[in-house]
Amino acid sequence: MNEHHNPEIAIETRNLSKRFKDVQAVDSLYMSVKRGEIYGFLGPNGAGKTTTIKMIMGLIQPTHGNIFLNGIRIDDGFDVEHRRDTGYLPEQVAFYRNLTPVQTLDFFCELKGVDKSIVVPLIEEVGLTDAIDRKVGTYSKGMVQLLGIAQAMIGNPSIYIFDEPVGGLDARWVKVTRDKIRNLNKQGATVLFSSHILSEVQALCDRVAIIDKGKLLAVDTVPNLSERLHIMPQLEITVPGLGGRIPEAVYTVPGVETADAEGDKLLVTCDTGARMDVMTALKEAGVEIRDFRTIEPSLEEAFVKMISGGGD
Amino acid sequence: MMGIGLKAIYSVAKKEFADNVRNRWIVALTVIFAILTLLASYVTGGGSVLGGMEETVIGLLSIAAIFIPLIAVMLGYASIAGECENGSMGILLSYPIRRGEVLVGKLIGLGSVIVVSTVIGFGAAGILIAATVGAESGVAYLSFIGLTILSGFLYLSMAVLFSTIAKSRARALGMGVVLVFWSMIYGMIIVGVHMATGGDVQGLITGAEPFPDWLYASIIISPGDLYQLGVMVAFEIRQVFGYTFDVPFFMTTTFAVMVQILWIVLAVILAYFSFRKRDI
Repeated sequence: MNEHHNPEIAIETRNLSKRFKDVQAVDSLYMSVKRGEIYGFLGPNGAGKTTTIKMIMGLIQPTHGNIFLNGIRIDDGFDVEHRRDTGYLPEQVAFYRNLTPVQTLDFFCELKGVDKSIVVPLIEEVGLTDAIDRKVGTYSKGMVQLLGIAQAMIGNPSIYIFDEPVGGLDARWVKVTRDKIRNLNKQGATVLFSSHILSEVQALCDRVAIIDKGKLLAVDTVPNLSERLHIMPQLEITVPGLGGRIPEAVYTVPGVETADAEGDKLLVTCDTGARMDVMTALKEAGVEIRDFRTIEPSLEEAFVKMISGGGD
Repeated sequence: MMGIGLKAIYSVAKKEFADNVRNRWIVALTVIFAILTLLASYVTGGGSVLGGMEETVIGLLSIAAIFIPLIAVMLGYASIAGECENGSMGILLSYPIRRGEVLVGKLIGLGSVIVVSTVIGFGAAGILIAATVGAESGVAYLSFIGLTILSGFLYLSMAVLFSTIAKSRARALGMGVVLVFWSMIYGMIIVGVHMATGGDVQGLITGAEPFPDWLYASIIISPGDLYQLGVMVAFEIRQVFGYTFDVPFFMTTTFAVMVQILWIVLAVILAYFSFRKRDI
């Protein structure tokens, strides 16, 4: 189908654009998701995340550009075989009010040509066994979301696409969902998921794409993204009896940007490589260190910096 | 590989049927429909108050002419727009199924609900009629049910078409209501046009001066009148509520059926193209 296909790439978009009347929702997007990675799609509401995902799923026709799933070009919606290998959870999940979860998943198994014997175990796997006899119309949002995840898992697809999978869920369901995504990925699946919740992306993703106003601003790993944006990790060192003073030794270490002290806590901002040097210098100066930890830069900072044009 | 997914169509049809046959609006409408047809057939035939199959048919016809469009529109209006709005369409279309297959599956599944509703609605009355008037009217009664189901399919395919065009389910419902309303008032429009073009009510009642042929022909744009006239011609009913009908030669049941089938075919074709290019 596509002679230039790199087998390492699971999802690819080339020059993908979508224009709604007067809004350029997605603008010449080049994106490639590697096989087996968790790829985070991060951006504020209205950035073009859902539109991009819907184009990948064939729900919205691109204005121009191409999409490849496992090297197969997605076009007019007439060839649908490739959809056997994808699992999709939309931003807004809904099923059929008057059907039970078993009837619902039976239906989806039929469409994918998958044996229905997996349905009950699947419902068990997402923790809905207690509600197995209820109609889906009586389910809470979290339960519908879990059924949505179960639905996406039918046929063990190699690609999962989740649009805001934890949006609007309470903490319990967020944890369940996050664990599920990790699990699927451990089993070898590629996961693309979008979020505007930065901590989610940070906690789960191998790589993150930052999108705003339909354009990709950056794609990288979380640490690299921080480095490129010159956000340095902070070292928090607990020194008993520090009393808010900053030991002179800190300033002698190359790579130290700033230092601050607050009670017993010494805060040092420095290059990643200089962290060990700071600790050694303090020890040599006879400073007693009780505890220390690194405060990783939050993606939020990177994100805000990027969007406000403060990035590179 | 490019063949039509008959299995996928069957799955969608089965799902639609299972989901909608439990829809409490549909259940409620069907129950009321059945009670009314039963009452009407008892009053007009069963109890021999007015007597005769003709009155029974007219009674049932006027009830069905209201309930069948309502049931069909209730079934169809949310079928596409509603599912797009709540997100279930996105999930469905992420499966190996084409949009045309979804559409056909829905029409078959929802159409089956109409068949069930009609059979329940007319069934009880049918037993009553068979017990009192006699079973010889059975074939005629079956064709009456058939014509009613056809009319239900017409409203259903129009409601589904509206559902593919409308951005929201509310708008789709609005369009459905307009169609039902249109069918209900078209008879009055005809009378109005007839008067405006020189006819008078007296002539209509006595049958001395019937509607001109072109006014009869114009009912091809009114699904409700196509249904009612189709049934009346089939039962050779010439008088309803005091009005005398002297239909032109071309206004046969076959003609009414063919025009209704044409409506359905056009609605489905338009729905297909509208659904295909729709952003979900």
